[in-house]
Amino acid sequence: MKRIQVLTGHYGSGKSEIAINLAIENKIDMLVDLDVVNPYFRSRSMHELLEAHQVSLVESTIEKALGSDLPFISAKGSRPFSDKSLTAIYDLAGTHAGAKLLMQYREQIDIQDVDFLVVINIFRMETATKEQIFDLIKTLEASSQLKVTGLINNTNLMKETTEEHIKQGEAVIKSLAEQLNLPIRYTFIEEHVETNHIFEGENRRLVRYLAKKWL
Amino acid sequence: MAKVLMKGNEAMALAAIKGGCDAFFGYPITPQNEVPEYLSYHMEKNDRIFVQAESEVAAINMVYGAAGSGARVLTSSSSPGIALKQEGISYLAGSELPAVIINVMRGGPGLGGIQPSQGDYNQITRGGGNGDYQLLAYAPETLQETVNIVKRSFSLADYYRNPVIIAVDGLIGQMMEPVDLDQKIEEKKSPAKDWAATGEAAKRGKRNKIVSLHLDPYQLEKHNLKLKAKYDEMKENEQQYELINMDHDPSIVFVAYGSMARIARSAIEALKKEGIEVGMIRPICVHPFPEKAFETLPKSVTTLLTLEMSLGQMLQDVQIVNQGRYTLDFFGRAGGVVPESEEIVEKVKTIMKGAAK
Repeated sequence: MKRIQVLTGHYGSGKSEIAINLAIENKIDMLVDLDVVNPYFRSRSMHELLEAHQVSLVESTIEKALGSDLPFISAKGSRPFSDKSLTAIYDLAGTHAGAKLLMQYREQIDIQDVDFLVVINIFRMETATKEQIFDLIKTLEASSQLKVTGLINNTNLMKETTEEHIKQGEAVIKSLAEQLNLPIRYTFIEEHVETNHIFEGENRRLVRYLAKKWL
Repeated sequence: MAKVLMKGNEAMALAAIKGGCDAFFGYPITPQNEVPEYLSYHMEKNDRIFVQAESEVAAINMVYGAAGSGARVLTSSSSPGIALKQEGISYLAGSELPAVIINVMRGGPGLGGIQPSQGDYNQITRGGGNGDYQLLAYAPETLQETVNIVKRSFSLADYYRNPVIIAVDGLIGQMMEPVDLDQKIEEKKSPAKDWAATGEAAKRGKRNKIVSLHLDPYQLEKHNLKLKAKYDEMKENEQQYELINMDHDPSIVFVAYGSMARIARSAIEALKKEGIEVGMIRPICVHPFPEKAFETLPKSVTTLLTLEMSLGQMLQDVQIVNQGRYTLDFFGRAGGVVPESEEIVEKVKTIMKGAAK
């Protein structure tokens, strides 16, 4: 695992939930929320939880002003690129528009330190096929000026997810991974899914921190 | 099509395309931005029309024009934006033009906030425009229900020649859920739009005029009575609701819609585990208000507890329907605060303690 993991993907692919899961489980120092698009269900609403796990959160609004829809990026967001003692996860907004925000750190980024990971759920209509995901990866790379270094299989239909669904996702993603010579870094599995199957990459159970229990 | 995972706003936008929407006119506002964002790309791909207007007022008047030409038209906005559209909505109703309006509600009044709210209940059920008009107003609970209602709403608007408004709170607009976009729905069958202004007067032998101006009071009253007859027909035929957990002899029954109904379902499950049975009336169509639901309650019912993410708006409809039959109580949060199911459980226990005294 590299010191800095940057999560990108189409919007609604599950970047924010995964960012929180990885930050907590991998005991990351800093979670930088660069999602300036979504008004709800963002990692910045998880202030207290992350604090309890000693993850420091850099928010994409004026500090703790959750109700603001004014995009804001704290200068603290660049710290992990200059302070080599820090581990960090960057949670980008969806699509190439979100990936563009990385450009501001361009001069500071040492690519040796950075894993640029694409979160994929094949049950999102825009990333249902290998060709669509391929196109997405190319636009993400073009707008961020970074090479994608790995893929994350987050194929799910939330509470309706089955083992079979994740396998379907893996088939599509694996075939693309082979074509692009990229690793599948993680497969995320919804907590309720009963499976002994070993999927590609590190297998992680997805804890849904952002979705309320009645959703 | 198999199920896909969609965000509420995207799902409504795609449902509109599937429902035969020919044209969209709108203006951005949080938390409904994914509706125009999605349509800006997909309407063109489907050979339909998308215009980002210069304001909400412009958008609703574009809706008026396009609807007048016989197109199936959609606009969407969030609370203060819907307020801006009220004049146009009154004109649409007055000119008997079909249109679909989506409101992804946020906190108010004024600019309010951007967090989810149900504070527009009066705006969607009473309307803020002038004159004797009514809307058909829906407030769905799940993305699947929302998708089906959006698809069907175009045929309902055509049938009644009246605007249909679909109001979801911001949570439903922003949340993700698996949906099947191609679930079979029953369209309302409507006659051909022989009233539309299509530029074919010569062929038709008469000019079709779209107006809401009637200077002769007797003529206007006749028009008002014609509209009233439509509203009566809506009241008779379009009441839609769900009854939940009524076969367990509940003494308390919730009345809740949209996200509040989802939270209430969690409360019903939690109370069930403690041996307390609570029912729920869930209005799906909020105007006309589903009066019929209140006629069928089990004998065990003593109290109706209205739950809102607003401060007693639907409660007024419940009071009107109730006619003193049941004890009424209320729980609401406002301003974008989304209650936890535990707060509702506590409220139920407080009512029960009071009743036991």
